[in-house]
Amino acid sequence: MKYATVYFEDVEIGAEMPLLAKGPIRQIQLTRYAGASGDFNPIHQDPTFAKAAGMGDVFAHGMLSMGFVAQSVTDWLGVGSVQKLGVRFAGLVRLGDVITCRGKILAKRSAKEAGRGQGVVDLELWAENQKGEKVVTGRATVALLSREES
Amino acid sequence: MPIQINHGVKGKEFPPFAVTVERGKIKEFARAIGDLSPFYLDDAVGRASQWGDIIAPPTFPVSFHDEAAGTGALLKELGTDISRLLHGEQEFEHFKPIRPGDTYLCRTRIADIYEKSGKSGPMAFVVREMVVTDGDNDIVARVRHITVVRL
Repeated sequence: MKYATVYFEDVEIGAEMPLLAKGPIRQIQLTRYAGASGDFNPIHQDPTFAKAAGMGDVFAHGMLSMGFVAQSVTDWLGVGSVQKLGVRFAGLVRLGDVITCRGKILAKRSAKEAGRGQGVVDLELWAENQKGEKVVTGRATVALLSREES
Repeated sequence: MPIQINHGVKGKEFPPFAVTVERGKIKEFARAIGDLSPFYLDDAVGRASQWGDIIAPPTFPVSFHDEAAGTGALLKELGTDISRLLHGEQEFEHFKPIRPGDTYLCRTRIADIYEKSGKSGPMAFVVREMVVTDGDNDIVARVRHITVVRL
């Protein structure tokens, strides 16, 4: 975890986000996430139900993986800084999987260019499993403090 | 044979519902993800922060639902069952922090429904949009949720 402020001036286009590895995914985490989010779809809890649905076995809530991706961004650039976060769920996350969240800076816009109080950076984000298969792909826009203002 | 879903619900607005955010719910949500940032979990750190309290993680509004506007209601409208659902895409736009004790109004609508054929067969994409506003009627968050129905 990191709480130091990352300033707009310190982030370069192309800079890679520090990796965040999560997991291995356990059933108990899916059960906790169901309770926390209110998504009690049995496809994430009950292997018999998941098999009957043609999914082979239970798999993780997409939103749990998105939570990991959000954490990877806020660990790096700060809690409360995310203005926009969008993802596509590209693959299923299974029990035992280790999910690594990655990303890089695509673009920077100063406060003036962004037309708002703070400069923003756009990130490309993705998460992959232990086989290197992408399970989430996405983008984020994050507001950063400027050294000049602070 | 692929199943049919009801495309007539495109544009449907669900009844607005209010959510009062509980302090413990924010912490439970952060812990379930395994995100142990003190800005979500530690009241003292929250009080000393620029927000004056803990705030919710970016994906927290996914927990805002109610029976008349949730997945169960959607399934009934579409005429399908939960075993066919997958989560396709999700997007959050944040305008103000979400804090414990605050009450938010959530308005959900079905913005679009379209069908495509993928490698695993025909699928319908149901796009739901939720706008979250606070007591000042300011937009706090916009949430876009694409559900995939395996037809």
